[in-house]
Amino acid sequence: MKIALFGNPNTGKSTIFNLLTGLRQKIGNFPGVTVDKKSGVLQLDGAEHELIDVPGVYSIYPSNKEEKVVYKLLVSSPPQQRPDLGIMVADASNLARSLFFFSQLIDCGLPLVLVINMNDIAEKKGIRIDTKALQQAFSNTPIVFMNARVGLGKDRLLAAIKRQIAEGKHEQIKVSNSLKNLDDLLGQEEEATQRQAYIGKTLQHTVSVTKTSVRKNNLDRWLTHPISGYLIFSAILFIIFQFVFSFAAYPMDAIESGFGWLTQWIKSVLADGPLSALLCDGIIPGISGVLVFIPQIGILFFFIALLEDSGYLARAVFLMDRLVRPFGLNGRSVVPLLSSMACAIPGVMATRGIPNYKERLITIFVAPLMSCSARIPVFTLLIGLVIPKMKLFGIIHLQGLVLFGLYVLGIVSALFIAWIMHLLLKQEKRSYYLMEIPEFKRPLWRNIFLTVFEKIKVFTTEAGGIILAISIVLWALASYGPSEQRNAAIKSLKETSAYKSKTLAEKEGLKNAVLLENSYIGIVGKGIEPLIKPIGYDWKIGIALITSFAAREVFVGSLSTIYASGDNDNEFNLHNKLKNQKNPDGSFVFSLRTGISLMVFYVYAMQCLSTLAVVKRETKSWKWPMLQLVAFGAMAYLGGWICYHVF
Amino acid sequence: MLLNELKVGDQAKIIRIADDVFRTKLLEMGIMQGTPVTLMLRAPFNGPLAFSYENTLLSIRYEDAHSILVEKMNMHQ
Repeated sequence: MKIALFGNPNTGKSTIFNLLTGLRQKIGNFPGVTVDKKSGVLQLDGAEHELIDVPGVYSIYPSNKEEKVVYKLLVSSPPQQRPDLGIMVADASNLARSLFFFSQLIDCGLPLVLVINMNDIAEKKGIRIDTKALQQAFSNTPIVFMNARVGLGKDRLLAAIKRQIAEGKHEQIKVSNSLKNLDDLLGQEEEATQRQAYIGKTLQHTVSVTKTSVRKNNLDRWLTHPISGYLIFSAILFIIFQFVFSFAAYPMDAIESGFGWLTQWIKSVLADGPLSALLCDGIIPGISGVLVFIPQIGILFFFIALLEDSGYLARAVFLMDRLVRPFGLNGRSVVPLLSSMACAIPGVMATRGIPNYKERLITIFVAPLMSCSARIPVFTLLIGLVIPKMKLFGIIHLQGLVLFGLYVLGIVSALFIAWIMHLLLKQEKRSYYLMEIPEFKRPLWRNIFLTVFEKIKVFTTEAGGIILAISIVLWALASYGPSEQRNAAIKSLKETSAYKSKTLAEKEGLKNAVLLENSYIGIVGKGIEPLIKPIGYDWKIGIALITSFAAREVFVGSLSTIYASGDNDNEFNLHNKLKNQKNPDGSFVFSLRTGISLMVFYVYAMQCLSTLAVVKRETKSWKWPMLQLVAFGAMAYLGGWICYHVF
Repeated sequence: MLLNELKVGDQAKIIRIADDVFRTKLLEMGIMQGTPVTLMLRAPFNGPLAFSYENTLLSIRYEDAHSILVEKMNMHQ
């Protein structure tokens, strides 16, 4: 049986969904649209039913793209796709508003269960609901009182669902004659008036208010104050970033060293050969490259879910909306964009909360321009190479200033591109920002845990496959090449007198450099030299650019291999090696202008296949990630060219 | 006066909502002619504002609040 869970936003619908399904949730697609469909398994007396978590809305008539799925599910989809039973979650403090949508569900002819949630809070506010009178008004719908946050009333709800599965009774009344077409605005307004009159009449003798409670806004005034509001928001973000950077490093190191250990072990039991190479250098690093993102995703979503569940996020959105609106962004874009400064992957995944599709798309599109933590090793290496260690005005470190400038360049560019997209992209309909600011609540750990779990699961199962596949292809291209060419190159290397005088480890390094040079990627890297010469790069840098498409930080490792610095872990060694590299004409390879050109290149270039995979997953199309790849690539090239010619 | 002209703490009654789509959306949420509202919060730089009605704190954008005509109520009424 197909059961749908309906409700207004902020009525505790997700809490009830989590309560009923636990870990047995999955993310799919609503047919024909690009909106995620969250569903789970509800087990009742051994039978399994599909429970669909329908987006929270106030009315069946949508005010944005995502909300269209509700209308579609109930009215315009083929009957076999429609739910057999609906559970409507109503907030006891706002029964009238919930009954609006409920009355539309009644008119769909759907058997229903009405959950009145958070009655304890309503009673504290002096709102009393006459259960009998309400049950009389909706005689065919079981009405269940719940306090879902503490798990109270779950058994009653299950019993009501069982009853409705057995009986399948729907209300006989019709509040409005028929549901209107989506574009029939006048009809919808008329219908809404009719429904409100009906609700007013129904609730007249059902809900009584014994005292008038005045909502206090002292705390909210501080949180949205022009000075303290921004200060508190910055402080919270600062704390989150501290946690992401300091805590994520331990599990990330553990994952990488764990897989490193596994590789060593396989190498020790498996004979050298293509299978061992595929496992140890292709597949295992590929899996490790997917899993290594989990700590960052987990920690960031832990905090985002905490902010959301407690109610603070709505205040932050309220505070930030005005600042980002000129760029076509929404107040809800701010946390995803700032999260992207740790890693664009959770940033892109966090855009789910942006109700307007155009604003969400713009946020996803520009998120990779925010400088993420994977750029740090590239930037620090290059800054150390080409920016002199000196102080300006005696206090400002020039190197630090350049790093800061690169971050600012990323942010300014993101806003600029957002603004351009805002001008270019058409809005299908006027959008409204109508957001309820919920009261503060003690966060519910189960909800937070399930959010973190869901995000990690979606990333590993849906983006992980693409990342793994492409990284194996990249590995193969970097480790294989035309064998004749490679053998000849190795042979001529061995004959040089310089090679013969080297130690064993140094010989190994030189061999690896020659092998990479003569791999498929090396050949491509050499092939693109005419293309990258104008922006100041030689073919060795070209190879590092291509390999670092897997992930930006690979740039450092590839340079290390190609320049045969021998010891990958010794940055000092690599630094000196690179510093002394000379072009055939005797000039230094890493000159100031090449270095700056490369840094600007890395500010823009879409050098992260994991981000591309996640953007594909979130936009459900290859169109947007491909556009990012091309557009940011062009910006990187142009930026690099300008820097190379200016400096 | 218009909703975005209210000061924080002011109580008012909705008189008219000029924008068609917005009027329907608000009506669906139970905000219509005669609904009493209290302005609770204003975001800096003419950002969104939040008003309470019934038991809800709802935020809308400054420009959208411009299409809502209200009548200020005397605090003791």
